[in-house]
Amino acid sequence: MSKIDTKHFDMDNIFNTINLGLIAVDAEGKVLLWNDWIAKHSNIQEADALNQSLENVFAETVSPAFLTALNSTLTHRLPVVLSTALHRSPLPLYNPPKINQPQTRMYQSIAITPIRSQQNESCGLIQITDSSSSIKREKILRSHSEILKKEATTDGLTDICNRRFFDAHYEMAVADAKRQKHYLSIFMIDIDFFKLYNDQYGHLAGDEVIKQVARTLKAQLSRATDIIARYGGEEFVLVMPYLPKKTAEQFAEKLRSAVFNLAIPHIKSPLFKQITISIGICTGIPENDDNLLNTADTALYQAKQKGRNQFISLALCEIEEYLEQ
Amino acid sequence: MRQFSELHLDALTEIFSIGAGRAALSLSEIVGDEVRISVPSVQIINAEDINPVTLSLTDTGRFGAVSQHFSGPFNAEALLLFTEDQALKIISDMMGSQMSNEELAEFEHEAMCELGNIILNACLSSMADILNFVLESSLPDYTVASAEEILHRLKKDSSQPYVLVLHIDLAIEKRHTAGNLVFLLSTSSLTNLVTHLDQFLGNIHEQN
Repeated sequence: MSKIDTKHFDMDNIFNTINLGLIAVDAEGKVLLWNDWIAKHSNIQEADALNQSLENVFAETVSPAFLTALNSTLTHRLPVVLSTALHRSPLPLYNPPKINQPQTRMYQSIAITPIRSQQNESCGLIQITDSSSSIKREKILRSHSEILKKEATTDGLTDICNRRFFDAHYEMAVADAKRQKHYLSIFMIDIDFFKLYNDQYGHLAGDEVIKQVARTLKAQLSRATDIIARYGGEEFVLVMPYLPKKTAEQFAEKLRSAVFNLAIPHIKSPLFKQITISIGICTGIPENDDNLLNTADTALYQAKQKGRNQFISLALCEIEEYLEQ
Repeated sequence: MRQFSELHLDALTEIFSIGAGRAALSLSEIVGDEVRISVPSVQIINAEDINPVTLSLTDTGRFGAVSQHFSGPFNAEALLLFTEDQALKIISDMMGSQMSNEELAEFEHEAMCELGNIILNACLSSMADILNFVLESSLPDYTVASAEEILHRLKKDSSQPYVLVLHIDLAIEKRHTAGNLVFLLSTSSLTNLVTHLDQFLGNIHEQN
């Protein structure tokens, strides 16, 4: 250290060049070192600060937590940190002024470490960094990760939730309904004769139909608790809590007619000559290993068997009866 | 190990309880609400006998560890351990929950360093005051790791075969959190600690 000091650099020059605030105080809290960074951000020159009690150097008050921390370092000789999260701006330091804008307080991260003077006196070194740039960086990373998270749970074609999101949500919704013993309805929805539509009109037109149906189904939902996801190719699934069986059936009819009313021509659809959907619903209060999804799938199969463009609704307990038939 | 008696453990529990009180006071000042910290038990174990149960590392999630190296009459690596979820909740309570957990993560690292620093410094400074010696310390460091990684870290240094474990209860507002404070000690550090405790206990004895 002494080699650098005497042969290569003037230490004052280094202190004043460094991009960090440095203040050293003696055991009584009197300022011994006040670098240019601090002078610039506090608008207080070194000459006005030296040998003054740190608390009195600033025109504004210094936060009590800072004074406690400094005192603690000087007494116990253990290093202390003050985080931005819990203190924001303990010292009256300011960001560089911007044209036509009032100066703003700088967010700071502070470390106070015990040091000894050449006379072996107990002193404290205060290091201050501007934390606004790291906060900004974190924010950017976070917003990127949120975009990625959204992409990971959204279906690229329809912009509704994807299968991955549904699987996780379904598990939580069932667990919730079990715990709170409330109704849960699962709607399995399939576009009728979709393969024939693709063959007739081409895949691009097919994709367009999937998008339009997804948008229409989604538009029927109004509660935050309800979610719709693309389950597979032309299949959708809806999860809705708190609906008794009758209300779920009314809602299914609303979904069916909304898609029917789109009146998208489909000349290969044997009966209706337009795009229709079939819906299988299962409503119940799940217990143990009850599988609403399987029951809804069975109901959808029945709706297809019975002529499509309709819904079939099963209560959770009805599946055995159906299987016995 | 044989040299370490129940009496020594009682004395340490007493010392750390005073430290915990100091830490609680500092934290209360920051939070602006009552903070209570207690040290229900202190244990000394061989590093090789450490298992997930002794450190409540049985959770499958990740753990936050604040560490500082202390040196003086005895040297110790100190680690304060919380589950990461608990760590985030503590910080959110301390910040007055003006932020969502996602936003909190931005500040987690630094704020946990500060929280750990307050608790570690308070425990060590009360020890230094009562046992009458001076300790130095590095600045705190915060890492997030799995239980396995933490156990590996505690066991890897064979020059520190002893582990002093403090179980810590922290209550901020209505939330109770349990964590562990772990000191890794070398054989000579443990011997020095015992010597200082003996002097302290001897002093008390003489005064009586």
